[in-house]
Amino acid sequence: MSLPPLEIVLYAGAVSLLIIGLAGLVMSEHLVRLVLALGVAEAGGNLLLVLTGFRQGAVAPILLGAAPSGPMVDPIPQALVLTAIVIGVGVQALALALVLRVRRAYGTVHMSALRARLVEDLDEAAGLPPEGSREAPGVERPV
Amino acid sequence: MTLLDGLWAASALTALVAAAFGRHPAAGSWLTVLYGLQFLVVAMMGGLSEGADPVPASVSFVVLGYGLAWQFSALSWFFAVITAGAALAAAWFVSGAWGRAYAARGGDLRLLQLALALNPLAMYVLLASTDFLSLFVGWELVSWSSFLLMLSGGGVGVRWALRYLVYAIGGAMAVMAAMAQAHALTGSFGFGALAAAVPELSAASLWMLVILLAAGFGVKMGLLPFHLWQAGAYAETPGPGAAFLGAISSRMGLYAMLLTLFGGLGLGTLQALHIPFTPLEAHELLAWIAAFTMVLPTFTALRQNDARWLLAWHGIGQGGYMLLGVAMGDALASAGGMMHVFNHATYQAALFMAVTAVVYRTGTADLNRLGGLVTRMPLTFLVLLIGIIGLAGLPPMNGFVSKWLIYRALIDEGQPLLFVAAVIGTLGTIVSVYKLLHNIFLGRLRVEHESVREVPWSMLTPMLALAAVVFVTGLAPGPVLDWVAAVQRELGFAVLVPTLGGVDRPDGGLDMLWVVGIMLAGFGVGALIFLAGGRARTVHQLDNYAGGHFLSAEVRYHYSDNFYAGLMHRIGSWYRGSFQWLQDALVSATDFLAQGAAGVYRAVQPVTWLLGVTVLALWWAW
Amino acid sequence: MTADAVTLAVALPLLAGFLSPALGRSSRTAAQWLGWAALAASAAVLWSVWVRLDGGTAAVAVGGFRPPLGIAFYLDGMALLFALAVPVVTLLFWPRAGTPQQFALTLVLAAAATGLALSGDIFNLYVFYELTAVASFGLVAAHEARRAQAAALRYLLLSAAGSVLLLAGIAVVYLRTGTLNLAHLATLAPERLQDPVGLAAFALMLLGLGVKAELFPVNGWVPEVYSSVSGRLAGLLAGLVSKLAVLVVVRALVLVFPRPEAAELMLVLGTLGIVVGELAAWRARDLRRQFAFSSIGQLGIVFVAFSVPGPAGIVAGLAVALHHLLTKPALFLLAERWGGAIEGLRGAGRGQWLASTLFILFALSLVGVPPLPGFWAKLLTVMSLMEQGTGPARAGAVVVMAATVVEAAYLFRTLGVLLARESGAESPQPHRGPDLATASLAGLILVGSVFALRPLGDGLKALAAQAVDVDGYVRTVLGGPGMAVSHPASQAPGGAGGGARVAHVPPEIAS
Repeated sequence: MSLPPLEIVLYAGAVSLLIIGLAGLVMSEHLVRLVLALGVAEAGGNLLLVLTGFRQGAVAPILLGAAPSGPMVDPIPQALVLTAIVIGVGVQALALALVLRVRRAYGTVHMSALRARLVEDLDEAAGLPPEGSREAPGVERPV
Repeated sequence: MTLLDGLWAASALTALVAAAFGRHPAAGSWLTVLYGLQFLVVAMMGGLSEGADPVPASVSFVVLGYGLAWQFSALSWFFAVITAGAALAAAWFVSGAWGRAYAARGGDLRLLQLALALNPLAMYVLLASTDFLSLFVGWELVSWSSFLLMLSGGGVGVRWALRYLVYAIGGAMAVMAAMAQAHALTGSFGFGALAAAVPELSAASLWMLVILLAAGFGVKMGLLPFHLWQAGAYAETPGPGAAFLGAISSRMGLYAMLLTLFGGLGLGTLQALHIPFTPLEAHELLAWIAAFTMVLPTFTALRQNDARWLLAWHGIGQGGYMLLGVAMGDALASAGGMMHVFNHATYQAALFMAVTAVVYRTGTADLNRLGGLVTRMPLTFLVLLIGIIGLAGLPPMNGFVSKWLIYRALIDEGQPLLFVAAVIGTLGTIVSVYKLLHNIFLGRLRVEHESVREVPWSMLTPMLALAAVVFVTGLAPGPVLDWVAAVQRELGFAVLVPTLGGVDRPDGGLDMLWVVGIMLAGFGVGALIFLAGGRARTVHQLDNYAGGHFLSAEVRYHYSDNFYAGLMHRIGSWYRGSFQWLQDALVSATDFLAQGAAGVYRAVQPVTWLLGVTVLALWWAW
Repeated sequence: MTADAVTLAVALPLLAGFLSPALGRSSRTAAQWLGWAALAASAAVLWSVWVRLDGGTAAVAVGGFRPPLGIAFYLDGMALLFALAVPVVTLLFWPRAGTPQQFALTLVLAAAATGLALSGDIFNLYVFYELTAVASFGLVAAHEARRAQAAALRYLLLSAAGSVLLLAGIAVVYLRTGTLNLAHLATLAPERLQDPVGLAAFALMLLGLGVKAELFPVNGWVPEVYSSVSGRLAGLLAGLVSKLAVLVVVRALVLVFPRPEAAELMLVLGTLGIVVGELAAWRARDLRRQFAFSSIGQLGIVFVAFSVPGPAGIVAGLAVALHHLLTKPALFLLAERWGGAIEGLRGAGRGQWLASTLFILFALSLVGVPPLPGFWAKLLTVMSLMEQGTGPARAGAVVVMAATVVEAAYLFRTLGVLLARESGAESPQPHRGPDLATASLAGLILVGSVFALRPLGDGLKALAAQAVDVDGYVRTVLGGPGMAVSHPASQAPGGAGGGARVAHVPPEIAS
């Protein structure tokens, strides 16, 4: 089951996009960049999915009257990937909206700063003093 | 409806009444009557110790395909009669003045009564176990009801109760592991199936079962190294509760061991299970653990300055004698070990009650702040005296009989080292109970205790009754040994056939009737000499000289302060606190790990975890 | 066609969800009633279908498209049980104080979650999963405090990354088999997914779904989100949504990836989750985060239990999952008022006896005190692991039991603080009536189930037997009466460069 070279290139491209996106999610600091990285990763995932139906030289599987004589690509992944793209766009839009609101509330677009502020907020909401690294647990140990 | 149903019903009724009316001190007498009813029902099952058929419960369940059924056998009955007696005595003690005073001091009397009523109920359920599942259910019920009793007093007791809880759940989980392992090996929860499967099991699985069961039940018994919870948890429980717990609660561990290790796996299996690279077998390992449990906690008790703590530490040590006897496994030793359960329950309950009576009158159990109460509380003194003679294992009390049986068996079996350990333990006991007696009742009365009076009869009656039992079963141990013989027969031990006064053996038996007779005769002669020749004159205790100086009320010369300072000067450096260190180290390690676990969510961005674990999982998939 | 009505169970809440904001513009009350009516109708439909099926199974081809092409719903006991739990729990944890938009999101969440339980097709699962995710982001972000928005954003990024992994896993599965219908996959999997690539696909799907299922270590959002939102929403996410994600994983494990390695991966991650969750809960300084971490630990136990192959594992997993579904949301409701620092709760439980009693009851059941249901769930888990007898399974059992000790320690330490005689500086407000009522209901069910252990156990066993019956699944979906197996396994396209790949168009579409 050896793959033709073109397919290898395509699959490698899709997987690379996926990896680039995920790496961007891990390595970026800026919230908008994180959302963009997510977009790249999603594009990779979508490409991978649509590639599973790809056949070299095949035509689009559009049935108008008579079936075409040549091979057709698998239409299912195409239908699926449309859905996935729509979902992805929706999620990214939501993410950007949240970035805006977070920036308005916290005045920062940096993930680590946001994380620290969030933990402070959580502690404050619970009425806890800020946590030192070597502090004792909240209450006495039972043993 | 069988008698076992009746027992459960009576006990549940007691708990209901306690929950409904326990708040009122007046309900105490009604509750005492109900405990008496429980005792009566148990007594009606007395035929069990004469070879009658087991008494089943008429309720049974099938849950998830596993049957749950209960029945009382001779073993159950032996422990149940002790439980019922201890509960009756404790409830009687609460019922009058003590309960009123407890409620008046702001104690939650209803909670105490309820917890006190739930404990025997849970124990009757446990004692009726027929397989691992019912055993575990009963075990958990007992653990949680004693937890409730421990925290019923509030204050420091809550901390100790929480510590107990951690130990108890740990032990329960070991039991659960053993139970699941047994089920995986035999396909059933039954002890019989386990016993039948023993020949096919590998030594490794047998060891796993033995270790899990011994550790799991050992936690409740306070076996080394799982003993650190017990003294504090029992001592800080409100007095009558402590008497009940100290008398019987931790013996449930011995019951469960008898049922699973000795009845299920069988003594023969333990004797055949060899420890690699040593000359020891599994039962000797248990015996040695028991020996260390006898010695170390006893000497810890020696250092206590709180009467309740002192007694509680002895409770741990005495558990060692019981396990030692049972683990040695011959007729004498196992009879001694099991009889010691009964004996210990009687004198320990009496002792805790006596101390509680002292606390009731003086407000303190601090041995450095008491003294000279013998003239003020003579009956309490008598109870305490009888109790400590029993605890120390001296004639004419019942503790002597059980310990004599164990010593004798150790000599017969050729275990000189264990014998020496037992003697050292007894030595420590004698020394420390003398401290208890002396610092409370002897020496000089403190001025603030001038007006102390004897406690009321509602408290004295159960104490005196228990003391009487301690003496009578010491004078005539035959009946108790008969019960024990029935248990031995049921579990497959060699059976000791007792006489009324003890044991009749060709190579030297024990007849307590003679021993006590001669002792009393000796005392009688001494008393005659004293009365005939003595010219005693009673003076006020402050009319006293020391070193040529008259001692006024201002110059206290109370030599019970820092008792045994000289002895501690010699052996004080032997106390290392290694187990405390071990426990602290474990807790700190857990805390350290927990800090790391919390750090998992703090140090690294979540997405990094996602990517990292994905890479790992894909790498692993290849 | 009775079973076909089940599509209504998904459609009605979805429809109501879309109507709700519009209706809410004129009347908030009307929107609320609409939501309740839709959920009640959904529950009624599911209930009647369950009753009619009477222990049987059925497959529904939505819109008449026959499997393996169309959208298939598969109805068996397990699916219907969880599907039915969705509207019921959603009704109980309805955002009472919310806006019509929140009602809409809740309804969408319910519809998507029902779909997750019923769907018999991986891609539909993906769609419903995403829908659930988006609805929960919205619900988290709808909370007014700014910390909720930050938590929602971080949750979104993690969850979306997980979704990409899930999508990649789906792509791999499709690449190998050419189908996404679970029944069809079940017939093809033994020859096409039993290799490292198949295992990698499972790993990707497990991690993708694991984000919602609080699987270690992709659950970093859990403490942040649960301590930012209201107790009701936390209960909904921890109780319901996580369980449905687990359900999907279990379906995939049973039908598509019945390999010991796959189960082992779940076992290992679940075990680590127990360790980390319970230990972190031990250190937690406020009640909500304690419950959040404890939830991670409990979900770890669920994963560990489900990793045992065969009906024993399913029974144990279902028992633990249902028990957690019952107790943890109720505990989050109690944390609504007691949510602050644990040390500040000194004596707060005195005087609020109902709440304290419920807390004690749930704590006892979580620790596993017989005869409460939590004990039987834990016992089943430990026994099925020991029965399996492999090294990792035994280690898992040991960890489950050790975690119990830690759990008992922190739960009862907290209780000790709550019921302390001396009271703290300021005592929190009393619990709200509806919160207490819902928690009491959970407590009543918990106690009531003690008296119904036998039927419950038998029921779970029947569910589990049905759930592991792969042949039955395939027969029901592909080989039902009037449903010709139009595409035998041998014809399905395999590999990337396989034979001619044509669309599988069933004849019904043309007509």
